[in-house]
Formats: sequence, C-alpha cells, structure tokens
Amino acid sequence: MSRVIYGIYDDETDLMSGIENLLSKGVKCVDAQTPFPVHGIEKLLNVPRTRISIASFMYGATGTTLALLMTWYMMVHDWHINIGGKPNFMFYMNLPAFIPVTFESTVFCAAHGMAITFLLRSKLLPGVTAPIPHPRLTDDKFVLHVSVKDESKLDEAVGFIKSSGASEVLMKSLQFA
Amino acid sequence: MSAAVNAQYEAVVRDPLILGKKSYHQMTEDICRPVEGKANKYWWMAFTVSATTMTWGILCLCYTIGNGIGSWGLNKTIGWAWDITNFVWWIGIGHAGTLISAILLLFRQRWRMSINRSAEAMTIFAVICAGLFPLFHTGRPWLDYWMLPLPNQFGSLWVNFNSPLLWDVFAISTYFSVSLVFWYLGLIPDLATIRDRAITPTRKFIYGLLSFGWKGTARDWLRFEEVALVLAGLSTPLVLSVHTIVSFDFATSIVPGWHTTIFPPYFVAGAIFSGFAMVLTLMLVARKVLGLEEYITTQHVELMNKIIILTGSIVGVAYITEFFMAWYSGVQYEAYAFQNRAFGPYWWAYWSMMTCNVVTPQLFWFKKIRTSMMATFVISIFVNIGMWFERFVIIAVSLSRDYLPSSWTMYSPTFIEVGIFVGTIGLFFTCFLVFARVFPVIALAELKTVMKKTSNQYKKVGILKKEN
Amino acid sequence: MSKTYWKGVEELQNDAKFVQLKNNEFAEHLPLEDSSNTLKAVQEKADDITVTPRRDFLKFLGFSVAAASLAACEAPVRKTIPYLIRPEQITPGASNWYASSYHDGYDYCSVLVKTREGRPIKIEGNTSSSVTKGGVNARVQASVLSLYDNARLKNPVASGAPVSWENIDKEIAMKLQTVVAANGKIRILSSTVISPSTLKAIEEFSKKYPNTKHVVYDAVSCSAMKAANKESFGVDEIPSYNFDKANVIASFDCDFLVNWISPIEYSHQYAETRKLNGDKKSMSKHFQFESALSLTGSNADQRFHVKPSMQGAVIANLYNAIASKASATSVNAGSVGDLSKAISTLADELWGNKGKSLVVCGINNTAIQNLVNGINSLLENYGTTIDLDNHCHLRQGNDADVASLMDEMSKGEVGALLIYNCNPVYTSPMGKMFGDAIKKVTCNVSFADRADETASMCQYICPDHHPLESWNDAEPKQGKYSLTQPTISPLFSTRQFAETLLAWSGNTTNYHEYIAQHWSATVLKGKSWNEILQEGVLEGEQLASKSYKSSANLNSAAEAASKMSASGVEMTIYEKTGLGSGIQANNPWLQELPDPVSKITWDNYLSVAPKDARDNSWKQGNVVEIKANGASVKVPIVIQPGQMPGTCSLALGYGRTAAGKVADGVGVNAYPFISLVDGQMMYAAGVQINKTVDEDHKLASTQTHHTMMGRAIVKETTLEEFIKKPNAGNEKELFSVKVGKDEKKKTAEELNLWNNFESGDHHFGMSIDLNSCIGCGACVVACTAENNVPVVGKDEVSRSREMHWIRIDRYFSSDADPKEGESGDIKAMENPSDNPKVVFQPVMCQHCAHAPCETVCPVIATSHSSEGMNQMIYNRCVGTRYCANNCPYKVRRFNWFRYTDNPKFDFNMNNDLGKMVLNPDVVVRARGVMEKCSLCVQRLQEGKLIAKKQGRKVKDGEINTACAQSCPTQAITFGDYKDKDSMLNKVWQPEGRSYHLLEELDVQPNVFYQTKVRNV
Repeated sequence: MSRVIYGIYDDETDLMSGIENLLSKGVKCVDAQTPFPVHGIEKLLNVPRTRISIASFMYGATGTTLALLMTWYMMVHDWHINIGGKPNFMFYMNLPAFIPVTFESTVFCAAHGMAITFLLRSKLLPGVTAPIPHPRLTDDKFVLHVSVKDESKLDEAVGFIKSSGASEVLMKSLQFA
Repeated sequence: MSAAVNAQYEAVVRDPLILGKKSYHQMTEDICRPVEGKANKYWWMAFTVSATTMTWGILCLCYTIGNGIGSWGLNKTIGWAWDITNFVWWIGIGHAGTLISAILLLFRQRWRMSINRSAEAMTIFAVICAGLFPLFHTGRPWLDYWMLPLPNQFGSLWVNFNSPLLWDVFAISTYFSVSLVFWYLGLIPDLATIRDRAITPTRKFIYGLLSFGWKGTARDWLRFEEVALVLAGLSTPLVLSVHTIVSFDFATSIVPGWHTTIFPPYFVAGAIFSGFAMVLTLMLVARKVLGLEEYITTQHVELMNKIIILTGSIVGVAYITEFFMAWYSGVQYEAYAFQNRAFGPYWWAYWSMMTCNVVTPQLFWFKKIRTSMMATFVISIFVNIGMWFERFVIIAVSLSRDYLPSSWTMYSPTFIEVGIFVGTIGLFFTCFLVFARVFPVIALAELKTVMKKTSNQYKKVGILKKEN
Repeated sequence: MSKTYWKGVEELQNDAKFVQLKNNEFAEHLPLEDSSNTLKAVQEKADDITVTPRRDFLKFLGFSVAAASLAACEAPVRKTIPYLIRPEQITPGASNWYASSYHDGYDYCSVLVKTREGRPIKIEGNTSSSVTKGGVNARVQASVLSLYDNARLKNPVASGAPVSWENIDKEIAMKLQTVVAANGKIRILSSTVISPSTLKAIEEFSKKYPNTKHVVYDAVSCSAMKAANKESFGVDEIPSYNFDKANVIASFDCDFLVNWISPIEYSHQYAETRKLNGDKKSMSKHFQFESALSLTGSNADQRFHVKPSMQGAVIANLYNAIASKASATSVNAGSVGDLSKAISTLADELWGNKGKSLVVCGINNTAIQNLVNGINSLLENYGTTIDLDNHCHLRQGNDADVASLMDEMSKGEVGALLIYNCNPVYTSPMGKMFGDAIKKVTCNVSFADRADETASMCQYICPDHHPLESWNDAEPKQGKYSLTQPTISPLFSTRQFAETLLAWSGNTTNYHEYIAQHWSATVLKGKSWNEILQEGVLEGEQLASKSYKSSANLNSAAEAASKMSASGVEMTIYEKTGLGSGIQANNPWLQELPDPVSKITWDNYLSVAPKDARDNSWKQGNVVEIKANGASVKVPIVIQPGQMPGTCSLALGYGRTAAGKVADGVGVNAYPFISLVDGQMMYAAGVQINKTVDEDHKLASTQTHHTMMGRAIVKETTLEEFIKKPNAGNEKELFSVKVGKDEKKKTAEELNLWNNFESGDHHFGMSIDLNSCIGCGACVVACTAENNVPVVGKDEVSRSREMHWIRIDRYFSSDADPKEGESGDIKAMENPSDNPKVVFQPVMCQHCAHAPCETVCPVIATSHSSEGMNQMIYNRCVGTRYCANNCPYKVRRFNWFRYTDNPKFDFNMNNDLGKMVLNPDVVVRARGVMEKCSLCVQRLQEGKLIAKKQGRKVKDGEINTACAQSCPTQAITFGDYKDKDSMLNKVWQPEGRSYHLLEELDVQPNVFYQTKVRNV
C-alpha cells in the first residue's frame, strides 16, 4: 500500500530545487503546501490549469440574462405604467434605462458565483479543519507531499528528500479532503 | 538560485518597498504582532473617542427616526443636503480601496501590497457609513425594503427601473458585497497564519473558523490567484460604474447644476482623489500606531501623493469645464447656477472647495512636501474637507436656487444632522480600529511573494532609507 | 422650612400599616396567581415587603415585551359606530349641498355649503347670486373652520360662570325691567346688520323696552361716505358700484379688490373689465393713488405714491382738472407738486370716458368723500357706474353715534348695553376707555361667540350661533335678498342673537318661523319659500338708477381736505387679505395664508420703503417702537418695495389677547393708532419710529426671493402690443433641428424623444389667466379646505416648510431687469425696484406629461394617469424627496412631521372638534410622505361617477377644482382637452396668450398660463 510523507523545506528556492531533484530521482511528488503562492511550482507538480474564470463568465452571463428578464417582466410585461412618459410599453425603447441594473447584476453574479465555486472546489468552509503537517507551514515552512508506493522504499525516499535539501521529514498521516 | 526566482529579480534602481533585515518569519512576527499582542494606549484612546462619537451619532439617528426628517434643516426646496452629501462623500472614499487592490493589481504594482488590505477594509467601512444615509434619509425608513424588486401586497406593483435611486440600490449593494468577498478571500491565508500561531484554544478555534480551513496546497494557491485576478478584473469596471451611477442621481435630473454629462468621469476622479487622501490619513496614523514604518514606507506615500496630484488636477479641470459649459450652453438657468455657486450666498462653500481640492494638492509637485509625512497628512485632511464641500456645493447649492426664484430658499443644518455625520466618522474609525486589532493589516502572504524582490536586504542596497 | 404634603389622611394620622406599606415600592401587593406555592409564600410576605420573584419578573417581562411588540406591529384599531337610525337625506359617502349666505358684519357672500354625514366641510360661491356671482374670498372660505373653533363658548355665561339659558334669560329680563323702570338708556351696539328679520327683531325689542337705540359700529368704517352722500345728494346711503361698467378706474387709498365694502362683488366686476377672452381686445385702465402697496394697487396699470395727508389735495386738484373740462367752478386746492402731470392725464382719461368711469376713495373723511362725489357727478357716473338708488347695505357703521355712545356710557347714563357681533374693546381706538365704561353699565350683555376682549369684560355672554348653524336672511343690496340656513345643528348650547332678543321681548316664535313670516309679509310676494331656500337668493326688482348732481359745498370741503397734515412718518392702517378686521383671527388657515403682497404669514409688521430702510439702516425683522396719539407698540420692520418713501403701514386684525390660542399674541394691535378726525375714524396716523430696542423678530415668509431674475416666468405685454399682435410677449423660443440635410426650427414642445402613451376618455387640464388673477389667495384657502392640507405654524413656515398645494408667486420688477437679449447683472437683479410693477402667478402641480418627478421615484409612488394627471400614491411613498428635488416648479410638499394629533402642531388637526372639518374624500397624509396638488381628483371621480350613473358624458364645467371654483375673478379654467368645445380648448391659444411655464424644459405640463397684459 502507498502512503504520503512530508518533506519540510525552509525556503521556496530550496523547495523548487528539491522537487526538481526528487523528480529526477523518480520520486513521486504529489503536492506542496506553501505559506504563499510559489510561482512555477504548478508546472513541476503538473497541477492542471484552473477553469474557474470560465465558470465566472458563465455566472456573469446568467446575471445579465436574469437582469434583462427582470426588467422586461417588471416594467413592460407585468404592468407597464406611464412613468413620466418613459416608453415602458416597448422594452427596447426603454432599454437604456435598464443598462445600469443589468451591468450591476452581471458583476454581482459573476463575482459571487466564482467566489462560492472557489470555496467549494478547494473545500474551504467555516468549520473545516485544515490538515497542517507542520505548524509553521503558514509562516515560513514549505511542505512537499511525496507519495511512496510500498513501505520498503520508505527509508530510501526519506533519504532522497533529506538529500534534496529538506530540513526535516515528517511521517504523520493526515486526511486530505 | 533557481530559474523561477531569477525570473522575478527586480532592478536595483527601484526603491525598496520593505526596509530593514527581514526573513519570512520576521515578517510574520511583525505583522501578526498587533493582532496577537495587547493594544497600546494610543489604540485605546483612539477607540474611546471614536466609539463615543459613534454613540452620539446613533442617538441623533434615533431622534430623527422618532420625530421625522423635519429634525433636519431641509425644506420644500432643498430636499437633500447633508444626508446625500455625506453619502456621496463616503462612497467616494470607499473607492480608493477597490482601486488600489483591483486596478493596481491589474497593473502589477507591487507597492500596493503593503496597503491594499487596509485600503480594502477602509472601502468596506466607508460603504457601510455611506449606506446609512440613503437608508435613513427617507421619510419612512421602515419601508426602505420597498426599493428592492419585490411586488407590493397586491402583486403587480414593482419598482421603477428608470430611477437612478434604484440603480443606486443595485450598484451599492453589488459594490459592497463584492468588495467584502474580495477582501475576505484575501484574508483567508493570513487568518490561517494566525490560526497556526495561536496559543490559546479559543483563538485557534475562532481563527480556525474564520480561515475556513485553509491549507495552502499548490492547487489552492493556483485558484486563489486566479480568483483574485478575475475579481480584480470585475471590481475595476464595478468601482467605475458605482460612482458613475451615483453621479447619475444628479446627471439624469433636470436641476441646473446637476444636469451635467461631465459628471461620471468627474465623480470617479473625485472619488479616487478623496479615497487616496483618506487612505493616506489612515495609513500615516496606522504605521505609527502599529509600528509598521518598514512596510509602509516613504515611497508608498510618495507614490500615492503622485496619484493625488493627478486626480486633483482632473477634478480641477472638471470644475473649469463645468463653468465653460454653463456659459457655452447658453442656458440661462445653467449659467446662473454656476455664477451663483461662485458668487452667490454660498460662495464660501465653493471657494473652500476650490482651495482644498485644486490648490493644495498642487503642493505635491515639490518632492520635499510629497515625501514629508506631516505635510502629506495635513494636505490629505484638506482634500477630504474639500471633497465634502464639492458634494455640498453640487447638491445643496444647486437645489437652493433652481428655476423659479419664488421657491429659492437657504439651508442650514441642525445639530442632529451634524451629529449623524460625525457619528458615521466615529463608526468608520471604530470599525477600522477593531479591524486593526483582529485582522492582519497587511496582506502577509502576498507580501511574502515579493519580499525577495523588494526588501532592501535582498536588493543588497547598502543604506537603509532615512525615516522622517 | 419646606412644606410637606401628605399622601393621604392615613399618613397624616401616621396609620401604622400605612407607614409600613409606604416604604414598599408597591403599596398594594401585586396580583400574583395563587396556583404555585412559591407565590403563596410571596402572598403572605407581600404584606411586609413586596417582592417580585424571578419567575414573576420574567412573566411580566415576557408579557410586556409581547405587548410592546404587538402594539408595535399593529396599528391601533379605531372602531366606528354606524347609524342606528339613519337620518333622512344623509347618505354616507354622498355630500349634501345647501345654499346659504355668510355675513359676519365685515364680509358678505352668498354661498353653497358642502356637508358630509351632516358636517359642513366646505364653502363655495353661489353662482345664482347676482351680488357675489359665485365668488368667495379667503375669509369666507375659511369661516367653515371657525365653526369648529375650540375657543367658542359652549354655553351662556353669567359673570364668568356657565349658566342655563332659562336662568340667564330670567336674570337679564329682570335687569332690563329695572333699567326701564329707572328709565335708563338701553343701547344695542352691533356691527352692520343686513338681516331684515334681525332688524325687525331689534325693532320689536325697542318697542318692548322703550328708549332703546341701535348703534351701528364697524371696526373698519365707511361712515364718512354715508355722511358725504347725505351732504352731496341728501341720500344717507352707501352706493352700489358697477366696476364692470367702468373703462377708467381711479382709486384713492381704496383696496376695493379684497377689503373695501363688498370686495367679492367688486373683484368679479373688475375682472370682467380686464379679461381678454375671445376677440375682446379692450380692458379697463386702472389708476391707483396710495402710499402703502395694497393688493389693489399692485394690480393697477398706473400706481402713484401719495401720502395720506396729501390725498385731499390730490383729489381736489383732480376735481379742478375735471371741473375745467366740465366748465364748472373750480375749488381752491393745495399744490401737489410733481403729481400734477399724473392728475391731468387721469383727468383726460376720465373725461374721455364720461359716464363710463369710476372714482373710488377709501379714505374715511367726509370732506374728501364730498369731493369724490363731486368728481363722479361731474363725470356723470351716477346712474351708470355708481348706483345710489339700489344702494348697498354693508358698512352702515356711524362713527359719530359710537362716539356719543362712548360718553353716554362714561357718564353712566346707559343702563343696559347689548353688544352684538362687534368687539369695541379690541377694535376701537378708545378700546380701553370703552372697557372701563362697560363697568359703569348696570346690565351689559355680549353676544360674542367667544369670551373675546369685550365679552370677557361683560357680565353676561349669550353666545350667538355660527352663521353655518343659524337661520337668517340678508339684504346686502336693496332688493337683493338671500337666506342663511343651518347646515348642522348647533354644536354647543348657543342661541341666535335675534332669537335671544325675541325671547327677551316676549316673542316665543322661533327665529326660523319669524323669518318665514316676515318674508311672506314683505319680500316673497307669492314666490315659493322653498325654491328660494334652495336657490339661496331672491333677486327682488331693482329701482331705476338715477343720476345725481352734487349739492355739497365743495369749496369748504376742498379746504378741509387740503389742510390735512400729519406729524412724523405717516402710517396707513390697512387690512390684510387674510384676517381683514380680525374677526376670524383665531382661524389657523387665515393666519397661515401668506399676505399676497409681502408673502409673510402669522404676523403683522411695519412696512417701510426700501429707501427709508437704507437711510435709517433698518434691516428686515428689526424691531422698532412706534408711537402715535398715546399708543405705542414694538413691531418688526418689513422692507416693502412699493411703499412710499417717508410713509409706513401697519395691518389691523392682529395682536388679539382673547381670541383663542391660535390668534393670541400673534402680531400687534394697530387699532389704537386710529384717530377720530372730524368725527370720523381716520385710518392713518403720523408716527414716531425709534429703533430703541435692539432685537430681531423672526418673520415667517413663504417667498424669500422677489424678482424674476430676467426669466420668462410671468410673460407680460402691454395692451397696444397685444392688439398689434396676439402673441406679444409670448414669442416661443425656437430650436433648430437637423433632419438629414435640412435644418428645421421647432419649439421645445415639438421635440419629443418617445411615442406618447394612449390616454383615456378624458384629458384634464387647467388654464390660469394671469390678467384676471388679482392674487387674493382665495384659491389657497379653498385648496386647504378641500384637500385637508395641514397647518404647520409660524416656526415651520419660517423654515420654508409650508404645505400649501397651490401658492401664489408674487414677483416685483427690478431696475436691473435685462432688456431683450441682455444677460443682466445677477446681483443687481435680486433687488426689486423701489416702486416696482407687481405680478401674481398661482402655481400648483403642472401635471406634466413628461413629469421629471415620476421618473426618479424608485418605488413608483408617483405615476401618470391615463387622464393626464400626475398622481401621488401616498401609501407607496417611502419619502426619498427625490421627486421634489427634480420638480422644476417646486410644488411638491413633504410631511416633515406628523401634523395630526401632534401637540407640536396644535391646530385644527390636533383636536376632535377641529378634525370635523376634514374632507373624508381626501386621505390625511402620514409623516414622511410627499404630497401635492392632485387636480382635486376626488371631485373629478365624483363628477365622472354622476355622469356615468346618468349614462351621459361629463358636461364641460360640471366638474371643477376647488381653486377654480373659489376664484372670485374666474382666472382659473378647468376642463377636458378631449372635449372639443370645452372652455379649456377655447382658451388654449398657443398662437395667442397661452404658454406653459418653463416650456423650454419640455416637461409638457397640462396646466397653462395666459400672458399678463397691462393697459399702460
């Protein structure tokens, strides 16, 4: 059976070089936890590109449609009242007046939709307990997740990680959602 | 050094944005100190003062609700004065936050990182203060919810989408909620830091809840940055639209002095102008009180002052353009409205606006003034006053003399009105002070990404910048 | 040592139990339920100490919270009790109209009274009267509120204590008998009585009690005119005037449009001559000679400044100018300086219109009136514009009689004094003296409706009915009768004056019978009483109006007139449109009605000329002390353009001390400044003005800016111009529009962005003829009454928060007004000329088709009806006030406070009696909502409903708004654009005088105005 062990690095440069080093040795680096975004790491760990911006566009489109429907229904279809002679009997004639609301609701839906998606996708919700291999992970430690196929290879892997510049190696089992 | 880091190496000639000898841990220590440590006596003094004014404001508000809007100085001709003036003023102030965090992010301005967190917080609080006025300036505030797109009891009477006030409802609520989200998402990793540093279980628990179980894996960071980028992309047009729509309240009306197509750009510029001024006012206090001189440096201040010169000048041009248009349009009402501003009974309001907004910022052309903390502080206050007067001049003075001279009246505020305004200032600072004690005032994680590029230790710039 | 008060007799006796209990919070123990034993214990304990255990506390807490929240979320339920037995003729929700007539000794008007569920709520003009011709004025309109005045006496009073009618009748009858026995004089002092039946009753009384004399006393007297007519023509009467027959009108200190003798009648006649409807292209020419800017003066074509003391000389000179033309002997008159030119032009005009001219004079001086009679007889106006045969019965007061009564009383010769409908202690220059004199009268009775200044000094008060509660008749002019009928049963235990007199003279027929009998005997002549009662008026036959030649000695008159002089600053004492002589001073509607000329409410003040103000550095509102013939008051200054330099003026009717809480202490009393000159009341005085006190008085003005700033708001032209070109002064501004290549010129109203909504069967609108509007303010009060417009009081008005739905803008011309195409100096334009031209412009909601107010309301609380009206939906309004800001006419009014049941606004809407005047068809607006003119939508609906029930179209003129109905000059025309041949369509002449206010804004109002034309 396979398990994950954690290499702790003290600096993002060490981490990056460490990963390169381990990969060259054919060690499987699954993931990394860092106190701040380390650019380029996603390539090394070949994390797929996120499609969250596309989602956001979808939400935005929905917002626009909703707003247009709402204004049409409320101002024109349900009851077109003569308000200061504004042509509420024709949607397109009075459309200019509806643009601000449409725009706002577009932004509203896009922003909130995306934010919510992000939280759900990354399992970030109040009450979720975060798996923290090293207490200073969110301060200045960089944790690399290395998965090892079978117990026998464990010590070898630890050796590799140590040699790749990790300050220490942790052997705890954590539940990653 | 690895390729990744090399790629981000920054030219030595740029002034450092972080001073002193800093390690990641050191930064964490510095920035978490205000949150974890005890509040110093300055904080308590400030808090007491602002909390008291806030309470006073609440009392005045209650009085108004109990007795009616008549307890303000308004009359048959001047239906809006301090209330909407304050609303626009606060909204304007709010804009700087979004601007700094969103637009400067899109422009990849690194210097924004030390200030965007608190600037965003400022946005939130300013919008809260602003929101109070439209909510409570109505004759029957308990019916405000009728302004939401709901049918009336009998079903088919909705709301009027022709009305700029309704646009406001949408704009302000969107703006507020989006800024809130933007700000909070940014906070999550830093909250996680505090969570992991927490000693007491309660702290751990609370920050655990607040940080939504942040774990900082590569995937998270990837999405996190993407989200930040897209939100910035959304907030930029949003922030522009909000003040545009606020300006529509006036631009789409027929009141001479309100009915002006120049308003949208002019209001947005004004908003940024006042916003930056307020950011400066707060930052200059915060960096002293919270001891963050090494993160909010002279350079930050100078850069912001440059933006103030720019926006200040834009506003100045707008004022002149208005006058030109009033004359050029050949509409006597329009022409009179502007003559009346400058030479009418409210001339003092107009000229104090001119001095504060157009003249004082020009002092920033001198580097000495631009880089002096004291001067900046004073001028930033001036700008805030000036921008308040701008709104007063536009709103109250235009109303006081419109089409039929028979209805011309004068306006003077009651202490209730003043009390409410002062109260919102109290509210604003109370919120900000609490924020400074509870959340890291500087975007920690974000700043760490640029530490190596901008801290002078890594730039090997021998001498530390002299603080003044 | 401080006093100690006992909680009760127990404490006094130091009752042991009491002493012990009184230390507890609750002396009696709380009613706690017995069920739980814990509470049992408490019960026992409660005797020594009252404890509230936690549970109870929580129970109470819970209960009170629940109660509070319930109360909060539910409006209090008001139960209404339906009729058990429905009175005849009362259909709930339907209004009954009664023809009646109003006379309070000052104003006469034939009226229609609208009642709802038995309550009179509105007074309107009676069109079948040939005297008032359907007009009313502000005071008559407002009288309906005086009916519900809380200050009225609720029952008869004998020496300060309420008594029953039986007792008071007994006592007084006894006293009268003793007086008769002692053969002392009995005097009835009353204001002018125009009721034949009342006069008959007085006669009967004097038969029963010999040596009774009826002394007629008018607060504002015209007795000189009667005297003069006696001297000149041997007719001791007030003539009837026909302003409508006059082409040239010369008026000397005569405010005939709102205050002089029969203003409603005159203003209607006057307007007839001023209207330019259809192809009528002629109008009368009006010259005014006065020192204070009166409403009449501000409507004049030519206005000249004359000091009161100079009037005699001016009139004498005018006489000479006319005499020379008529080759009559001239009189020797003093010089008039630079006025001679004006006089000669006037003389030419008058002579040119011989027999079609009219000279009127409001100065209560026999000599001057004689000269005026002389002029009019030379001009052969008697028989045409002046009718001395069908004379007027108003203002019969005789100053000489009053004076003699005074010294009779002070001599103690008067045994009994019955004071009816007048208030000499307040209105007489010797008021104080009169008050003391009353004490000398053994039996003094007042019939006042309240314990006013005089009544409160009297031993007996037998309160009279309000006209709306009484049966009565009136003969305002010879041969023109009208009836007064009760529209509500008396609210209080009051009794009509005449009935009381009859009772005392032993006649037990009730007054209604009495009138009926008297009429069938005299006036009816076989006509049906009921028909007349329904019509309200009986037009008896008119005598042929003969021409008269003056036979007075004009030379002596001229001398007397010319030698008048006054020391110090000459002050004219005038009446205001709102309060008149002050009879209805306690009427908040009238107090809040802005003075048409100064636009100031809730005050009288010393009007001074701008020049004098500059010279003496007086500021508006500075308090000065004025002294004259023994009297002195402190009064605020008002700088009044049009006031003659070196003169000032002060209004009567204010400074009441016992009229009621609305009137008391408002303004100062000007009556003491009246002096007796040649036996006649002189309404002018030479006063000393000293700015001794260094205080300012807050004046509540509804208009703080007085010039048009060179804007085309009131469009104006001259008669010549108008005859040349019907749209003179109303040239439409043209805007060039590029359609493709070619450029077109279009008016603003031809440019329209959108297709219009389809409208319904009606499209209501309104026209306001600025040429007929005299600015009297009747419409303002009418609107207040019809639409339940709240009174907000002086303080709020001074904050510019008056609630009137219709206002009358008054603009003065400025010396700096720009010529054609000039821009003008904005600072200078703010200052009116010292002697400006005046224009009046009624402004109410213009009901714009493209209403700026509607588009900006977020909650659609205001929208457009298919009948062209801009509707306000109070219930939907959240009160953003955006609509008011965006209204270019500023006609929207916001409810800043709750104006009903609010002690801060202690007017008619704060007590149940006052609320009876509210119109049930119009909702009383809540705090925090916007309100405005609805074009009397409730009246429109009613009219349409009636038409619908009868299955016909609405007839033109059958629906009318309150303002249009009340207008004495019919300046306002209401109608339906959809009705091709409606009056409205006739008067709508965009090529002529019709224009929309601020038409360049293209808000497309449904209200339009007609250019003002001056005959200069």
